[in-house]
Amino acid sequence: MEKGKRRGGSSSSGPQAVARKRDQFPFPSRAKDYELLEPVGDGATAVVRRARCLPLGGEVVAVKIMNMSQRSEDDVNHASEEVKMMSTIDHDNLLGAYCSFTEGETLWIIMPYMAGGSCFHLMKSSYPKGFDEKFIAFVLRETLEGLAYLHRYALVHRDVKAGNILLDQHKGVKLADFGASASLYDPMINRHGKRKTLVGTPCWMAPEVMEQKEYDAKADIWSFGITALELAHGHAPFSTQPPAKVFLLTLQHAPPSLHNTKDKKFSKSFKQMIATCLMKDPSKRPTAQHLLELPFFKKVKFEDNVLKSVLNKLPSLGDRMQSIQENEAKLQAEKKPLDKCKEKASQDEYMRGVSEWNFDIEELKAQAALYPDENDGGEDEYLRFLFELDTICESAPIHDVQSRDYSKNENEKVFQICIL
Amino acid sequence: MKGLFKSKPRTPADVVRQTRELLIFLDLHSGSRGGDAKREEKMAELSKNIRELKSILYGNGESEPVTEACVQLTQEFFRENTLRLLIICLPKLNLETRKDATQVVANLQRQQVSSKIVASEYLEANKDLLDTLISGYENMDIALHYGSMLRECIRHQSIARYVLESDHMKKFFDYIQLPNFDIASDASATFKELLTRHKATVAEFLSKNYDWFFSEFNTRLLSSTNYITKRQAIKLLGDMLLDRSNSAVMMRYVSSKDNLMILMNLLRDSSKNIQIEAFHVFKLFAANKNKPTEVVNILVTNRSKLLRFFAGFKIDKEDEQFEADKEQVIKEISAL
Repeated sequence: MEKGKRRGGSSSSGPQAVARKRDQFPFPSRAKDYELLEPVGDGATAVVRRARCLPLGGEVVAVKIMNMSQRSEDDVNHASEEVKMMSTIDHDNLLGAYCSFTEGETLWIIMPYMAGGSCFHLMKSSYPKGFDEKFIAFVLRETLEGLAYLHRYALVHRDVKAGNILLDQHKGVKLADFGASASLYDPMINRHGKRKTLVGTPCWMAPEVMEQKEYDAKADIWSFGITALELAHGHAPFSTQPPAKVFLLTLQHAPPSLHNTKDKKFSKSFKQMIATCLMKDPSKRPTAQHLLELPFFKKVKFEDNVLKSVLNKLPSLGDRMQSIQENEAKLQAEKKPLDKCKEKASQDEYMRGVSEWNFDIEELKAQAALYPDENDGGEDEYLRFLFELDTICESAPIHDVQSRDYSKNENEKVFQICIL
Repeated sequence: MKGLFKSKPRTPADVVRQTRELLIFLDLHSGSRGGDAKREEKMAELSKNIRELKSILYGNGESEPVTEACVQLTQEFFRENTLRLLIICLPKLNLETRKDATQVVANLQRQQVSSKIVASEYLEANKDLLDTLISGYENMDIALHYGSMLRECIRHQSIARYVLESDHMKKFFDYIQLPNFDIASDASATFKELLTRHKATVAEFLSKNYDWFFSEFNTRLLSSTNYITKRQAIKLLGDMLLDRSNSAVMMRYVSSKDNLMILMNLLRDSSKNIQIEAFHVFKLFAANKNKPTEVVNILVTNRSKLLRFFAGFKIDKEDEQFEADKEQVIKEISAL
């Protein structure tokens, strides 16, 4: 039973909310009409803040402020594609944009405010061992609805992960960050409607994307499976490994799978759902629409407000963010300096995603060998990573992979950071 | 039971015909309050048909598009005024159907029937449709859909020429600076496409319209207070002037003292990106072998300042071409 839940689709009326708002009470496109409040996300060239829209009676929104002066022309074009996509998206489970405008050298994107923050964020602050199965089923089903919509328009999200799944007690679950997404219909595709660009975040990246084979919407299904594991355990598989190792582990080992742990038992249908998503052969993975038909999603009955029970006992997003940052700073301060910079380099790539990779198994092996196995296993290692809210994940420039010196540059960057 | 799920097979041409009928209905029955239920029903049917057109043209995820089906669809589509109806009715469609329709129109621009692009011929005979598409930038609701259809249409050289030669070109200077970033940047992408895609056509347009075009370009775009507008404009200017096919226009541009002054001001812009793009145009003034006296005078008057500026002018990453260009410019200015 859908119990009148609003759904995207040509027939329902609910999802028109964003579009209708634009007609009747358009959000103003002037910076001075917004009162900026505390930051709820932070990054190198973008920040997300809570804000009030003054002419609309102080309605609370989220404002993503991107500094364009440090961005290349490709990045600017890319940002405008992202914004265009956000403003033509109309689905309850996708984070759209109310409007966007420039202010000085910055671009402002006005979006719905998601008071619960991201799932990644929520795990970091309050659920380090992951969520219970029922909650996961709910969050994943909502995410799938959003993905199914994107795939219907031949859009591949390319960065599905807990950090991009946002929660709000009233607005529900929304998949965010179209910074990396791409249309299979745009001119960068080959004639078979598949892409060949390496974009995403290593831990969540499908094998065919890593290998720079052609890929399509099925790559999102792999990432979705990894995200399910992430929500179950509190972290993605291989999350403590540097990107080069993640590539090797993903390509050369059996796909990760869900197992019971000491404190947690998972249902068979959950394990099976993840296993079908994590088939190495993309053609064997189900579509988003087919996944929704699986028993794992079908059989679950949800109480009126699943999110409420998880979210309403937590401190506000701004407070949680601050306390997470303080904890991270403390942990960082206790660590050896070399460790720190190596980790920072790896973490930066981990969170931001690799936009291009020179894929060469031998080279990857050599790179992976630079990192000793010291941090194999150990879930706690994961928590030492620098916190960075994911909704502002840097736009990964979409270049068709050609440049062979990328990994060399990456090494140099790592090297420079260590010198400092 | 099985029979229940079987529907009679429809040919691609059938789908187009039904789409057209539904569009005609929608066009005639717009605004009327009565019969809303019927209208809703027709609307849902139309959405379904347009989605089906899309899946014939693009494949449905499981199967690749079939050439023969695409040919049939394209022929039927352009046999009558389906494109016109679709464009006119677009504002009445829901957001999802608009997106499907946009993708259908985009795809049709590339479809060939007996090695001819039918869409191009149709548009040539129906140029007023381009006026409609361009005016879409004035309506927030449909701007992005019309904008992306428009960009597909100007892939055809004759259509790009029509737009370039029309009065609409002047309007782009407004559209590019609309407050909504998504719409402004869409207009800006279209503007750039118009001015760079079809080389010979662009060269002809720029020579014929030199005076008003560069006057607008200088005063409205290069002197804009909007950072993105200014940044994209200076980049576009460089792209245009450095294109071999525009060499005559380039010579004319770099012979003007007023243009030089604008570029020199941009060199001092607070944004590094703008400085660098401005340099790529400024170097053309300096490298010009037949500099008019007024240009020489300005360069000589500012020689020491310019040399000091270039001595400290660096970009973050190593760029041999940039360094070589800079050396050349310094040499030229010192020798004056």
